[in-house]
Amino acid sequence: MDSTEAVGKDPRAQLDRLLEEDPADLYENAPCGYLSTLPDGRIVKVNATFCAWTGRPVDEVIGVRFQELLSVGGKVFHETHVRPLLRMQGAVREIALDVVRVDGSLLPCLVNAVEVRDEAGTPVLIRATLFEATARRRYERELLAAQRAAEESEARSRTLQRVVSDLAAAMSVEDVARVIVEHSRVALKARGAALMRVEASPDRRQEVPGLRALRVEGLSGGLLAALQEAASGQLVLELQRGVRSVPLDARLRSVQPALAGAMRAGGLSALVIVPVSADSRRLGVLVLGLGGESPGGLIDLDEPDTPRVVAPAEVELLWTLGRQAGQALERARLHEETARQAERAAFLLEAARLLAEASDVTETVERLAELAVAGLADLCVIDLVTEAGMTRPAARHRDPARQHLADQLRDRHLPQRQVTHPSARAVREGRTQWVRSVDEEFLAAVTSDERHLEVARALELACLISVPLVADGRRLGVVTLAADRWRRPFTAADVEVAEQLALQLALVVAKAQRYELDRRTSHTLQANLLPPSPPAVAGLSTAVRYLTATQGVEVGGDFYDLVPLHGEQVAVAVGDVVGHDITAAATMGQLTSVYRALLVDGPSPSAIIDRLQASWSLLGLQRMATALFCTLDAGTGQLRIASAGHLPPLLLVEGRAEFLPVRPHRMLGTPPSPAPAAEWAGVLPMGGTLVLFTDGLVESRSADIDLGLGHLRSAAVAAGTSDPDALCDHLLAELTGRHRADDIALLALTRLG
Amino acid sequence: MVFAHGFGCDQRMWRFVAPDFEVDHRVVLFDHVGSGHSEPSAYDPVKYGSLHGYASDVVEICRDLGLSDVVFVGHSVSAMMGVLALQQAPELFGALVMVGPNPRYVDDGDYVGGFTRSDIVGLLEALDSNHLGWSRQMASVIMGNPDRPELTEELTNSFCRTDPDIARQFARVTFLSDNRGDLPGVKVPTLILQCSDDVIAPDVVGTYVHGQIPGSVLTRLDAVGHCPHLSAPEETTAAIRAFLSG
Repeated sequence: MDSTEAVGKDPRAQLDRLLEEDPADLYENAPCGYLSTLPDGRIVKVNATFCAWTGRPVDEVIGVRFQELLSVGGKVFHETHVRPLLRMQGAVREIALDVVRVDGSLLPCLVNAVEVRDEAGTPVLIRATLFEATARRRYERELLAAQRAAEESEARSRTLQRVVSDLAAAMSVEDVARVIVEHSRVALKARGAALMRVEASPDRRQEVPGLRALRVEGLSGGLLAALQEAASGQLVLELQRGVRSVPLDARLRSVQPALAGAMRAGGLSALVIVPVSADSRRLGVLVLGLGGESPGGLIDLDEPDTPRVVAPAEVELLWTLGRQAGQALERARLHEETARQAERAAFLLEAARLLAEASDVTETVERLAELAVAGLADLCVIDLVTEAGMTRPAARHRDPARQHLADQLRDRHLPQRQVTHPSARAVREGRTQWVRSVDEEFLAAVTSDERHLEVARALELACLISVPLVADGRRLGVVTLAADRWRRPFTAADVEVAEQLALQLALVVAKAQRYELDRRTSHTLQANLLPPSPPAVAGLSTAVRYLTATQGVEVGGDFYDLVPLHGEQVAVAVGDVVGHDITAAATMGQLTSVYRALLVDGPSPSAIIDRLQASWSLLGLQRMATALFCTLDAGTGQLRIASAGHLPPLLLVEGRAEFLPVRPHRMLGTPPSPAPAAEWAGVLPMGGTLVLFTDGLVESRSADIDLGLGHLRSAAVAAGTSDPDALCDHLLAELTGRHRADDIALLALTRLG
Repeated sequence: MVFAHGFGCDQRMWRFVAPDFEVDHRVVLFDHVGSGHSEPSAYDPVKYGSLHGYASDVVEICRDLGLSDVVFVGHSVSAMMGVLALQQAPELFGALVMVGPNPRYVDDGDYVGGFTRSDIVGLLEALDSNHLGWSRQMASVIMGNPDRPELTEELTNSFCRTDPDIARQFARVTFLSDNRGDLPGVKVPTLILQCSDDVIAPDVVGTYVHGQIPGSVLTRLDAVGHCPHLSAPEETTAAIRAFLSG
C-alpha cells in the first residue's frame, strides 16, 4: 500500500486517533445489526444499522418481539430451535433467518445470539448480532437447488435403471405393465396409473381403435371408462402430441364433463397421458393421475385445485418410460406369441395323436373338445351332420363350474334351429366364421329363445370361431371354439389352428362314416345271406354260431350251410372268403348261391370243389376262398369230405377228439388244378360229433395255427358233451376273447342214436 | 410419566421440568427416531412418513418397560402422537398432557391452524437454510457417540442438529398432518397447556382442541412462545401438578 506519505509523519499517532471511536457510534453504526431483547423476545435495544436495513424507525422496533419481525418460517424455526438452544447452551451461531423489512421484502440474515444470565442462572437478556447474508443465501439457495436438481436427476436415472432392469426380467405383457405402472406412479408420486393398449376395434364397422387396460392402480373404473369415451376419436391426436398434461380446469369441465367428474371424484387435479410406442408404432398410453393427498395421508403442499405442473425433466422421464414400455410390450408380445405358437403346435400334435387313435367318433369328438378347452378356448362345441340331421356329440367348457351351461347347449339348443348362428352358417357356406366381438345384439340374433339367450349370456363369451368339417367336398359338421371375456381375444393364428383341427377331424369323421357304412352294409349282407338257423334233420342234432369281428369295421366272408338232400342225405359246408369287407361278403353270397345250385345234381364234395374251381372265373368272383364240403348220411353215418384249402374238421367220439385227415385241395379261386380234388370218406359213429369251423376260431388267441388247433382239440375234449349247442358255447368261451380279429363260423352236428 | 419432545430438539428440552416429577413418578424420557441420540439406522422413511409410526414407538416403549397408567406428556407434535398412541393401546394410558398441541397447522376453510401452505413452504426453506453445513459424517459423530461429549462440544447448535433429510421429513409429517378427527376419541383425562403468543399453536387452536376432546382441561399459561417447559418451567410444572392432583 502506497500510503506512507498520506498518513503523515506519525502514522502510529494517526491510527490511535482513528481508533479512539465513540462506543455509542460504534454500536449504532456497526457493520452489523445489534439487538438486545428480554428473554421473551421483546426488543429493548437496537442499533441504527438494523433500523436502516429493515427500514423500521427505532420506536417501531423497541417493544416488539424479535420473532415477530421474522418470516413465518423464521418464526417457527426461532420457536423450535433458536429459543431452546439459547436456553440449553446459552448461545447460537450462524442461524439463517429472514427479517421482514417494513416494505414486506425479506432481508436474509445470519444471526448470532447469546443469553445473558444472572447469578442464579435465570436469563435476563438476549444479545443478538445480525449479518446481512443476501448474496450468501442466494448462493446457498442456488447450491441447494442445484443439489436438489442433481438428486432428482439421480432419482430419475435410478428409476430408469430399475425400470430397464425390471423390464428385462418381465416376460409377459402383464409383467411389463406392472413394472411400468408401479415405477411411473412412484416416480411422479401419482395417485394412480394405468397402462392401456390400443387395440384394433373388434367391430370392423368402427374406425376408432379401442383401449384395453393392461394394468390399473389407484384409478377408478369410472375414470378409465370416461377416458375411453373421451379418447375415442382424439386418441391418435393425443398420441402424436407426446407427453400431455390434462388439468382439471373449467375447460375440461365444459368439454369433457364425465371425465372431469370422474377426476374430481377420484381427487385428481390432473391426468398425464404418455404415449407408449415402439419403432414409431403407437401401442398405447400410460395414464397417470396426479393430485390429492401425498403418500402417507399428509396434506398436499399445493393449494387445492391447483393442477400440478409436470416439470420438463419429468416429461422427459415419462417420454423415455413410454418408449421403454413400448419396446418391452413388443418384446413380451413376441415372447407370448412364440409361447402360444408352441402351445398351438403342441395342441395340434396332441389332437393328431388323439385322432390317429380314434376308433369311435363320439368318443373322439368328446376327447377332442376336452383337449380344446384345456388350452385353446373356453368353450368347444362340435356338431356333426348325420342321417338324423345335425347332432351335437360334444360341448365342453374349460371351467367345470360352467359345464352345465355347455350341457344345456348340447342337449337343448342345437344351432340348426337358428340359421344366423355362425355354426349353421359355417356349414351352409362351407367357410370359417370368425365373430370377433360377441355383443348383446349378436346373442339376440343367434339364439332361438329366451332360455337359449340366457345360457349364451351366462357364458360371457367375447369372441368365437366356427369352422366347418369338410372332407371330399362333403360338409360333415362344424367345430365352434369360443373365448370368454377373460381370455385374450382370438387371433388369426388361433383361427388357423381351429381350421387345422377341423381338417384333421373332418378326415377322421369321413373315414369313420365310411367304415360305419361299410360295416353296416357288410353285416346286413352277411346276415341276409346266411341261413338264419339250420333246418331240423332227423337223426341229427345241429348247432351253428356266427360271430363277427370286434375290431374296426372288418367283416368277413365266413359262411356255413346245412341242407337236407334226398333221403337221409345232408350237405354241410363251412367256408371263408378272403378279405373282410363288402366284396368278401358279396363273394360269399354268390359262392353259397352257386353251391346250392350245384347241389341239385347231388355231386360228391370233391366234385363240388372241381366244379367251383372250374367256373370261378366265369362267375366273375373276385376273391379266393377256402371251404370244406361234406355229405353225410344221417341214417348210416356215411361221411365224405373234401377241402379247398380249409382247416380240417374235428371229430369227437366218446371223449376223444381228432382232426380228420382230409387232404386239402387248392383254394377256390386259384388256377384250376389238373388233378381232381381228393376226398376223405368214413363213418360218423352214433353219438359222434363233427365240428366244422373257420380259422377265426383257432387264430383268435394265437397266431400259430397248430397251437390253435391243439387248443381246440383240448377244449372239445374238456367240454365233456356231445350236445352241439353246449359244445359250441364251450368252445367259443374257451377259445375266443372279448376281442376278435376275425369273424368266426362254427358248425357242430351230432349223430343221434 | 413419559415425556415426548416435539419437533426441533430432543429429550433435553424437558431438563427443567421432568426432574421435578421424579420424586413421585417413574419418569421416562426418550428421543424420537431421527432426533437427538437415536440410532440413525433405525430411521425408516416409510414408517416415519406418518405420525402413526412415531405413536407405535411410544406404545412399544411403554410395553417394553412394562408401564401402565401412563401420564403421557407430549410437546407440540408429540401431543398428537399421544392421541394416536392412545388409539393404538388405550389400556396403557391414564392421562394425557398436551403442551402446545396443533392437530392441523394448515388452515382449512373455517378452521384456523395458523399457517397457509406457502407458510409451510417457507418453513421448509428456513430449515434447509440452517442445514447446509450439515454433513453425514457429522451425523455419525454426533448421533453415534453420545458417550464422548468432547466430540460434540466442538459443534455449534449441536442440541438441535439432525440429518437434514430426516429433519425435512419430520417437518413435513409434523406440519402436514391432519389429526382433527382423532381428537374426539381421547377418553382419558386430558390437559391442554396453551401458551401466550404461540405462533406454532395459536390460542384458537388450543381452544379448538379443548372443544374436541370431551372433558379436557385447558390451562392458559403466561409463558410466551412455544416452549413453556424451557421458558417457564415452574409455571408448566405447576400446571401439570395441578391437573394430576385435581
